[in-house]
Amino acid sequence: MTRQARILAGVGLAVAVLVPVLGTDAQEKKAVRLWHTETEPQTVAVLNQIVADFERLRPDVSVKMEALAWGDLEKKLTAALAAGAPPEASHGQAITCASFAAKGLLRPVDDLVESLGKENLIEGFRNLCRLDGKYYGVGHAAAASVFVYRKDLLAQKGLKPPRTWDELIQAAEALKEMKDGQVVRWGLSVTGQPLLVNIQVGELLRSNGGRLFDPEGRPTLTEKPMIELLDFYKRLNAVLPPGWTSHGYLDTFANLANGKAAMVYQAYGRGTGYIEKYAPAEIADPEHFAVTDKVVGPSGKQSVAQIDSEPWMVFKQAKYANEAVEFLKFFYKEENYVRYLHTVPIHLLPMMKSTYRNPKYTDNASIKKWRPWVDMQETYFKQDRTRPVLVMEWDDMKKPYLLEVMGSGILVDMVLDSVKGMPSAEAAAKAQKRVEELLVRAGYLKK
Amino acid sequence: MKALRRPLWRAFVYTAALGLAAQAVLPLLWMFSTSLKPPREVFASPPTLLPAAPTLENFFRLFAETAFLTYFVNSVVVSGLTVLLTMAVGAAGAYSLTRFRFPGREPLAKLILCTYMFAPIMIVIPMYILARRLGIVNTRLVLVLSYASFCLPFSLWLLRAFFRSIPLELEEAALVDGAGRARAVVHVVVPLALPGVIATSIFTFTLAWNDYIFTRILVASDELKTLPVGVQDLFSAAVVDWGLIMAAGMLITIPALAFFMAVQRHLVAGWGSGGLKG
Amino acid sequence: MEGPPTLKRGYRLSGSAVGVLGILPAVLLIAGLILYPVAYAVWLSLHDKHSFFPTEQFIGFRNYVEIAHDEEFWDSLWRGIVYAAGTTALQLGVGVAAALVLHQSFRGRTAVRALVLFPYMIPTIVAVIVWRWLLNDTYGLVDYLLVRWGLARQPVVWLSVDWIMTSLIAMSVWQFTPFVVLSVLARLQTIPLELYEAARVDGASAWSRFRHVTLPQLKAVLFVVILLRGIWMFTKFDTVWLWGEGAGAGREIRTLPIYAYMRTFTYYQAGFGSALAVLMFAMLMVATLVYFRMFWREEEAT
Repeated sequence: MTRQARILAGVGLAVAVLVPVLGTDAQEKKAVRLWHTETEPQTVAVLNQIVADFERLRPDVSVKMEALAWGDLEKKLTAALAAGAPPEASHGQAITCASFAAKGLLRPVDDLVESLGKENLIEGFRNLCRLDGKYYGVGHAAAASVFVYRKDLLAQKGLKPPRTWDELIQAAEALKEMKDGQVVRWGLSVTGQPLLVNIQVGELLRSNGGRLFDPEGRPTLTEKPMIELLDFYKRLNAVLPPGWTSHGYLDTFANLANGKAAMVYQAYGRGTGYIEKYAPAEIADPEHFAVTDKVVGPSGKQSVAQIDSEPWMVFKQAKYANEAVEFLKFFYKEENYVRYLHTVPIHLLPMMKSTYRNPKYTDNASIKKWRPWVDMQETYFKQDRTRPVLVMEWDDMKKPYLLEVMGSGILVDMVLDSVKGMPSAEAAAKAQKRVEELLVRAGYLKK
Repeated sequence: MKALRRPLWRAFVYTAALGLAAQAVLPLLWMFSTSLKPPREVFASPPTLLPAAPTLENFFRLFAETAFLTYFVNSVVVSGLTVLLTMAVGAAGAYSLTRFRFPGREPLAKLILCTYMFAPIMIVIPMYILARRLGIVNTRLVLVLSYASFCLPFSLWLLRAFFRSIPLELEEAALVDGAGRARAVVHVVVPLALPGVIATSIFTFTLAWNDYIFTRILVASDELKTLPVGVQDLFSAAVVDWGLIMAAGMLITIPALAFFMAVQRHLVAGWGSGGLKG
Repeated sequence: MEGPPTLKRGYRLSGSAVGVLGILPAVLLIAGLILYPVAYAVWLSLHDKHSFFPTEQFIGFRNYVEIAHDEEFWDSLWRGIVYAAGTTALQLGVGVAAALVLHQSFRGRTAVRALVLFPYMIPTIVAVIVWRWLLNDTYGLVDYLLVRWGLARQPVVWLSVDWIMTSLIAMSVWQFTPFVVLSVLARLQTIPLELYEAARVDGASAWSRFRHVTLPQLKAVLFVVILLRGIWMFTKFDTVWLWGEGAGAGREIRTLPIYAYMRTFTYYQAGFGSALAVLMFAMLMVATLVYFRMFWREEEAT
């Protein structure tokens, strides 16, 4: 019996010894945790270099960079905030930033903006996360979604790049190619990935002069521009590959690069790397993979796009928030920032005017090669025609519930209902009801 | 009639066995084949069954460009420690449940089994908050503890059945011969329980090695991620390629299968000798 | 069977303190890391709590009342039942048949037995990416072969709205059937051969041997396997999540665990999400009790 007890004690001891070994989180230094969504290896490598350089200057600080998959960031942040332990700083969607700022979770970063030079920040980017005159976030870089088409294939059919929704459908039909009863090339490829469908709905609705909410904050999903949009989705559904709702963004891009699709409605600069890797070398250039303005809806006037730019948010309750800002200042220093941007040159466009003028920045083979792609995005930015996901007007940033609306996937379900055959008005009404319930529950809307 | 039936039956058995083996293995072979293809060939249509120009490029890139090795080490460490902890705690518990009488023993056994009905999804969120309070969030420890506690109910149940199937008389005989309880356990119970312990270890190891949701939520640091989460992140990263992903899949699968093959015999035997006798 | 009564009683009772000590670590772990979180989830379910906003408000059973009126809940419950019932039934049918085949003697049996268990041993993420790649509608091997062999005129889009539940069920059956095979096979091996001999002497046909000798012996193991697989499939998260994630069509496989997860992590309604999880557990409890009521009695005999 005593031996028995001794064995048990031994096991207990072993566990007790293992526990501290496992939990080695010993930290004398100020540990600054930063979460970001740039998971590409070359970007991670450069970020690590920047961190190393910073730690050399500030031996009292240890910076821990964590690359998180795009779709997981929000969940992760939620869990961290629920437990009262957010990282020092993190990327987040603009609407995430707005939502967090409205809840008083963020530390204003006016000091960071000051160090960059307020006037130096490109106008279109100043509103990414600004509330009540205070900056709560600065984008780490920016990209606009672009419309890509195979110039050579359109020319073969004597087609011009589509300008309107109708023309897009016609072009998609005309570009479809069959062989032995099989489709060998689709005219158009569109993703059904939930986040990107949210983006599409926002973009297309804006291009159709629509809105998601009225000034009182009540959802307006049953208005005419939205009904037209859902009808448009039905027509798209007829010309898109049958499985488009299951196609990820990368599937659509693979289709484009491999010649299985002639146009992609929603593309990003990062895709140029994909084209270079997968498309036949002789056509992997902007002469074949050309960009142009996005199509405009029947009730709309202007071609618009979504801005993909996650602001760096700094959390108020984090222990070393100030050190995080110190690091961010270091990160935005031209010599570091340019290195960072060059890891994905056509997707990570600078936030600052000075960087655009910096010869070191422009002296890059990819930027030179894919100039039209960069110019397209710049044009959108300069004319302030881009908005973050689900934001119609910059004023919408004051609606702190866009994050919940997006996360719930209600808009995606609405699109799906519509393409599955539900009348557009009915699908819209169903979504309207669900969004209202969501907002009432979150306390943003009276019943 | 009978003479004809026999070869027909044999043909059927062999065909069925071949079919069973094929459905299990062919998808993995396709993964292997894809992992050896260069990027452009991955998207070839029609697909090439065997790589036209096999290359290990995907594997090299996996180690050079991603933190795969880190994930791998984490998975090995975390799964291994989970097995140790679960077995230590589980075997002691199962032994107690079968060899000692104490108040509330049977209800306790049932209650423990009941906890198996809690889905991870239900536990993981409050668990995160708890881990935060204990200051162990984002450590390997929290993974080991959560896996172990999650594996314990079923492991205990399995082990209890194994221990129960070991006749008391053998131990009693040893005790009568003057051996202490510890020696009786070591010399009589352990050898007989070994198949059961191995079967249960495999079950535990598989659960820990394969888990997705606990790691997803309880761990944030890249350097602490285990393979399933690390690979999922690769999969949903902005620029993904199937060749790289399939190479990663291969390398996660091989150790799991190798480990399993090594103890496979014990598994079937162990499972049968008590594990699921109800 | 029984040893000397005096010795036995003395032996068993002597160490009741040690007995408690032995089970204690297990109880502590389970209580601390399972029961406590569950209790916390129950508590949360009675509150209106934003997932990251620090305040919470007690609202009694309002979450449950709202769940009852929530169309999405009923949809997800139905999908969950379809998924759990469909996969469990198929796993059982396929698994028992496979185990019977593997119980026959043939050359290479050991190897085939090991191979068949592969799918259960590989991580879910691997199973998912392999099958997503195989079933890719543009570059996938399966569609290519189907079209080439004339079994389909157009490639089937396995992850589309119409097919995603079917493909998920098929993939899950592939992944989890080995558990059934393993359990049944293990039991088959312990059936005394004499029983078959006796039946054969009586002139029983192969079918009647299966029906009257094998099946009764398998009852106990099938009872447990159905219970476990049913519970596990109903609460399955990772396979379903990874299968549908990244696609709007994933909505068609939004089962109850997925919906609970979404409410917590994407609607940011921790209270509502917890209420869903608690409800899920309550439903399982009831189902299990009913199941035991209906089938347990005869098991005790075996």
